[in-house]
Formats: sequence, C-alpha cells, structure tokens
Amino acid sequence: MKILVAVDQNPYSAHAVGEVAKLAANTWANVTLLGVRPKKAFKADRAGGLPMRWGADDTLLKALRDYRELFLTNFTEEDCPYIQREFGYELIEVRKGVWEELYVSKSAKKDLRTRMRLGNPVKGILAESQEEESDLIVLGCNNLKGCGWEDGTIVPQKVVNEALCSVLVVKEEKKVNRIVCCLDHDKVSQQSLEMINQLVTLYQGELEIVGLTEGEELKVEVEKKMDAILRYYTARQIKPLIEVVQVSALDSFISQEAQWGLMALWMGKKSILEKVFPKGKVNKLVKGSESSVLILR
Amino acid sequence: MVKALVSLNADLASSIALRYACQLANMISMDLQTIHVEEADHEGHPPGTGWVRRTWEKGLLETAQEEISQLINAERASCPGLTSPKMFVGERETEVLRELEEEPYDLFVEGVLYSFSSSNFYKKIRSKLYRQAPCPIILVKNLVSLKRVVLLLEDGTDLGLRVTTFSKIFEGADVEVDLFHLKFQAAGRLSFRKREEATSISRQEDSDDVLKAAKEMLLASGQTPRGSRMVHDTPVKIADSLRDYGLVVSYISHSMGKKSPLLELLSRVPSAILLCWQ
Repeated sequence: MKILVAVDQNPYSAHAVGEVAKLAANTWANVTLLGVRPKKAFKADRAGGLPMRWGADDTLLKALRDYRELFLTNFTEEDCPYIQREFGYELIEVRKGVWEELYVSKSAKKDLRTRMRLGNPVKGILAESQEEESDLIVLGCNNLKGCGWEDGTIVPQKVVNEALCSVLVVKEEKKVNRIVCCLDHDKVSQQSLEMINQLVTLYQGELEIVGLTEGEELKVEVEKKMDAILRYYTARQIKPLIEVVQVSALDSFISQEAQWGLMALWMGKKSILEKVFPKGKVNKLVKGSESSVLILR
Repeated sequence: MVKALVSLNADLASSIALRYACQLANMISMDLQTIHVEEADHEGHPPGTGWVRRTWEKGLLETAQEEISQLINAERASCPGLTSPKMFVGERETEVLRELEEEPYDLFVEGVLYSFSSSNFYKKIRSKLYRQAPCPIILVKNLVSLKRVVLLLEDGTDLGLRVTTFSKIFEGADVEVDLFHLKFQAAGRLSFRKREEATSISRQEDSDDVLKAAKEMLLASGQTPRGSRMVHDTPVKIADSLRDYGLVVSYISHSMGKKSPLLELLSRVPSAILLCWQ
C-alpha cells in the first residue's frame, strides 16, 4: 500500500502523521510525507533576498523533518522497515559452493520519503498522488477553522472531492471509538476492506457497515455484498454491526453517528452516494463533522 | 432441551439469524428446527386447484428449497444439529403460527436487519405472528457475541416472567447477566438541579427494591447476576449503551402504543432481543 500524507505546519498535521505511523506499523506501507509551499510565499522569501532554493532553515522543510522523526518514533530500531541499513561486508554464496565476502548495502524494506513541492497545495497533492499512484491520501485538520488549512484554504475538502484514490481526513480532536462505513453498491475492493480492517485494529473500535437504500429494502446485490463483507470480517474475528439507513434519513444518521469517530463512505461510479453527496455536501461533511472522514474509492 | 423454530428466507437477515441461533445452540442444549414459507404472492396468484395447483406449489418449493439449503449447508460445519427445513407454500405468518401452535416450541427465532428507521420493527411487533406467538421470540438484528445478556426491568411489570423465560433458555449456560432498571427521560427535557437531586434519590430507592427482587429470583433459578443498576436516560441513549450485549431481554405488552419509550428503545437496540409477552 502507498500512503501519501499531505502536511502543513499545524499540530493537526503532526497528529495525522502519528495516526499514519500507527497504521504503517501494521501494514508496512510505503509512505510519503509531502509539504507544498505556495509559490507566493516563495516569491516573498526571494524578495527578502533569499536564493531560489530550499534553505536549511525553511520552516516547512523543518516541519517535514520533524514529522519524519515523529513517524519513526512509532517503531523500534530493530523492527523498523523504513531505516536505511549500513554498508558492510557480507558473506554471500555467489555460485554453488563458492562464497564471497561482498561489500553490500542493506536498503530499507519500505520507503519513507519526505517531499516538497512548490505551487498550489491542492494541485500539488493531487499531482503527487497520481504520479506515485498512491492508494490513500491522508490529511489532518481541525474544526477550529472549519477544517481549513493555512490561510484558511479548504485543502482537505478539495482533495477529498478531486482525488482519484481514497482519502482520509483525520480530525485532531476526535478519538475514534466507532468506524461507520456506508455502502450502497456492490463494487467494493479487497484493498478497501483491508484498509477498514487495519483501521479497526488500529483504533480498537467497533465496526458498523451501513447499507443505504432508497426504498424500504436493500437492493439484492448490496445485501449479498454486505453478507460477504460480514463473513469477511467475522472470519477475522471482527464482528461488525449491520444497519440499514434510508437515503432520505442519511443527514440525520450522519449527524448522530459522527460523534463516535470515523465515517467512511464507499463511493462508486454508480453509487447513490455520488448523488446524495455532491461536492458541496462532501465539503460540509468534512468541514462540519466531528468525526474523521474516509472516502473510499 | 430447548426446542427452537428458526424462520428462514434467502436473505441477509435470515443468514444472520441462523448464525446467531447456531451460536446459541452451541451454548445451551437446544434443538433447532428451521422453517421456510414460500409466499405465493411473490410469484403471482396460485393457478387452479387440484394437481395443477399442487404441481405449481411443488415447483415453487423446489426452487426455494435450493436457496434455503445453501443457507443451511453454509452453517452446518459450525452447527451440526441443523436438519432439513420444513417448507410450506402460503402466507408466511399464518404458516409459522400454525407450526408454533402444533409443535411444542419453547422459542421462535427470526432475523430483521437493524434499521435507522423503526417502521419495520414496529410492523413486526404489531404483526399477527408476534401478537399470537405461543412462545418467547428472539429477534436477531445483528450477529453479536452472546457472552453478555441484559435483563431490562420496568416498574409495574411482571419480573417473574422475564426471569423464568431467561433462566429456562439459558439454564447452565456460561453467560454474564446484568440487570438494568429503566427510568426513561424524555429527550431534550430540562431538569432543575435541586428537584432532580430529590427525585434522583427516590428513584434510586425504588430501583433498589426492583433490582433486589429480580436478583433474588435469578439466584433462586440458579443464575448469578454480574451487575445491576438503575439507568435513567432517553430511550436512544439507553439503546446505545446496550450495544455490547449479545441479548437484551425485555417484556412487551399488547397495550404498548407507538410512543412507548420501551418500544422506541427496543427498536434502537442493535443487538438481538428476547421478547416476553406480558
């Protein structure tokens, strides 16, 4: 799994990095920590006489380095898959019955990259996720500025709307006790099921699978998929609760459930969630919800 | 031995109910009989009479039997006592009720998907089958672990009925039992602190008596309750606090209206509920 953690210099980003580190400890994901510096800020620095390059004392660069250290504190040195091993001699069988002591470098098993981009943060995050084929983008925010980032820009909301992969918006102030996953179609990827599985393990929370329906009853294919999901998790010693919610009651359901922790929406091409959650509503959900939000694609 | 009838359809609710019943059968001495009623209305009006009708019914049953057998076969490994289902064509409630009246069942089990809207639950509770069932009913909403059971107690209700029903089913089973004495609070209602403190003391005294009586009855029937307490909150909040229980045992009465806080609570409980008619 490839996780892209988009950060700014606020404490909620540190919180998001900490959450991803816990997730990565279970999944051994390849992780990229990305900071995007708006061009105008760079120009201002340049006007101040600084050269057009990242200075060692650049605040964003410094924050990224701190986040990398924070990420690594979640691992012991022996078990950390992200640490580059030292160079040294090692006896290796080069042909049958012939050994040679070679000077080798043991590379890290998994990647932990720290990257900087220049430009619009939303475009930078989306470009990075597409170029690197990320499976999940993680961003932090809090409700103090309506989930806005520096300068009040609504980066998390825009990334949630535009990204082609899954996006997790981690709310700094909320402890996750329950993971509520809403489903209205039968195209659920194995990877998204595993991602939920990891989150349940990470937060030690309850899992609730919600089937959305426009009428009184679930569509047959959705019901069959929910049965398969129930069996999948039960086999992994997780006992999810199943709940049926009518689309017309979705708003009140979300406002009631959001207090518990993490709201996940499985968005599909034919999903009614795409209809009931147009961009504006997703913005509202990310902005207003007390809970962290995971959009699964 | 407890003799239970489990109603099955080829759907998720039945699959959950069957797995829950199997879990129960592995805990207590229980004989599980499954039943499926193929409703003729699903396939249009029955044609003719005599052999024409019988042939048509046979065709319907064969298709249904295949689906129900798949459901049962999937659970057979964990539930070896499962036998072939009883299959009927007709009106579901009437046929199930007839079966419950003809055979000495101690328990009826069926599934309904837990819903944010309570309408399906209310429909079930008001149905002829539920109102006339000669035995207690377990309504399974989710596949939850049956390690913990809670008995809900309310003032002015027959405690003995719930305790006897529970003790009969769970005789010798390794379950933790809690007793909750319910005092409902209207949603959004404000209470003044002084008055609230005074009523809280008298409420607690009432509860102590009810809980003590229920505890004694349970002990007399060989069950030791793990904990007991008075719960004073809105139906929705109490229901949410019952999420960890594998079974919620409650009384239910024919006189309960739609606005009954106990019914609201039971509709919002995501676990299985054991209904004892009073």
